[in-house]
Amino acid sequence: MISIQNLSKKYGANEVLKNINIEFDKRKVYGIVGENGAGKTTLFRCIADLENYEGKIISNLNPIKNHLGLLLTEPFFFQKITGNEYIQLLCNARNIKVTDIENRNIFDLPLNQYASTYSTGMKKKLALTAILLQGNDFFILDEPFNGVDIQSNIIITEIIHKLKALDKTIIISSHIFSTLSDTCDEIHLLSNGSFIKSVQKANFQALETEMKQTTIGNKIEKLGLR
Amino acid sequence: MKEYFELQYRMTNRRFKDTGFEPLLAYILLTVGFVGLSIYLFNKTEFAVYVYLLFALTLIGKLSETRRTEFLKICFGDTQLKKIRITENLICSIPFFAFLLYKQLFLFAGLPLALTTILALVNFRTTLNFTIWTPFSKRPFEFTTGFRNTFFLFFVAYALTFIAVSVNNFNLGVFAMLLVFVTTLSYYTKPENEYYVWTYNQSPRQFLLSKIKTAILFSFSLALPIALALSIFFYQNIGLILLFFLVGWAFLTAIIVTKYSAYPDEMNIPQGILLVICLWFPPILLVLIPYLFRKSENQLSSLLK
Repeated sequence: MISIQNLSKKYGANEVLKNINIEFDKRKVYGIVGENGAGKTTLFRCIADLENYEGKIISNLNPIKNHLGLLLTEPFFFQKITGNEYIQLLCNARNIKVTDIENRNIFDLPLNQYASTYSTGMKKKLALTAILLQGNDFFILDEPFNGVDIQSNIIITEIIHKLKALDKTIIISSHIFSTLSDTCDEIHLLSNGSFIKSVQKANFQALETEMKQTTIGNKIEKLGLR
Repeated sequence: MKEYFELQYRMTNRRFKDTGFEPLLAYILLTVGFVGLSIYLFNKTEFAVYVYLLFALTLIGKLSETRRTEFLKICFGDTQLKKIRITENLICSIPFFAFLLYKQLFLFAGLPLALTTILALVNFRTTLNFTIWTPFSKRPFEFTTGFRNTFFLFFVAYALTFIAVSVNNFNLGVFAMLLVFVTTLSYYTKPENEYYVWTYNQSPRQFLLSKIKTAILFSFSLALPIALALSIFFYQNIGLILLFFLVGWAFLTAIIVTKYSAYPDEMNIPQGILLVICLWFPPILLVLIPYLFRKSENQLSSLLK
């Protein structure tokens, strides 16, 4: 369980997160949606303890970061490190012994090639594989479906279901609504640093319709396409 | 093209300012440091000119990186690109050229100019289709990535050891051993992305100690063949060989704690100067290492719990 109480984050005078209060329980998948710049990534960085913040983030497993698998939107890879070595590095960091990396390479990645030569989707799949093999209890997946092929998207969706069944807590952000509705138990809408709406699974369809109406409005007409 | 070099000049000045130095002072210090190190090198070994040329070419070769060249080509086109590359390579080779002229090594002085002009017309592909094997795969990343970038230098070091034994020149053997240590030092000069520190479930102290342990173990394995050869063929100097090992490890430790004492920023110029001073008087390391170790612990405490 992760409990966030009165979380605020400022960069100078710019308040990116405003008094956030939310709880993330185990065996649940949470979706965080919001426009670019709404504060999603900053919220994730605060939970991961990569940022200083005001307020409290409490968990039954402390420190959270040592039990957290963090998938960044754009994972960073060293030049001349192979996929195999990347996984080994992340497992070493958590004192996890992995002996059968090849066997657990479910995305069929070319693990003996340099990770820097991978495509965007392959890099994401490699980073995901590594945090899965770390054996974490919490997962923050920042846009896990972005740039990934359809077949792998199906696998990632099933992985999320499996993690949930294993009592893990999963927080996902995505700009593709269908990926969230397939995986999440709750979706929270973040706007200008505050949660403005929280929706349970039964109301996802209504949320999507509302978001479409609010977002699109008459913008397409304004383009004057002929 | 003029705008490109003005921009490079402004970017260089910004980097100096970021490290806390007025650009003018930084240029003066760099010039003094370069001349000082060059004099030191030429006083220490008869092979200085070769080391000098190798260093110049390695430094300038970095400007020929494929992605950088491709970016310049997109911006400026083929003809301008060649002019830019030749000009920047010549600018970078001027200090080496000038010092070699001062040493009246006219033939060698012409070499950096000629070679850097040729270098400007080629680009190196850093993304090879094959993966270079490394003995350090089980504990990535510094030695795995570093070894792949510099493996040829170890062949040079081992070849120099063979020559040292053949011509009965102990100093050359020591130079080969130092080459290994200097090469491994270079693996710790750049700060890594914060994710690769954050992901460790260790305290700052445990993290630093494990980095130091890995560096000592892996540098030992690379320098061991040279040390063994020197110990067998120059057994009367075994004490000196051990001393060089200890000094090499002390500098490796120093560079690791220097790196993390500035983390997540890059090592700054004052820290670089401190390390250079230690080259002249290594016992300073006995004070510097514990001091920087504590500073590193503080710097890392926000990322490691």
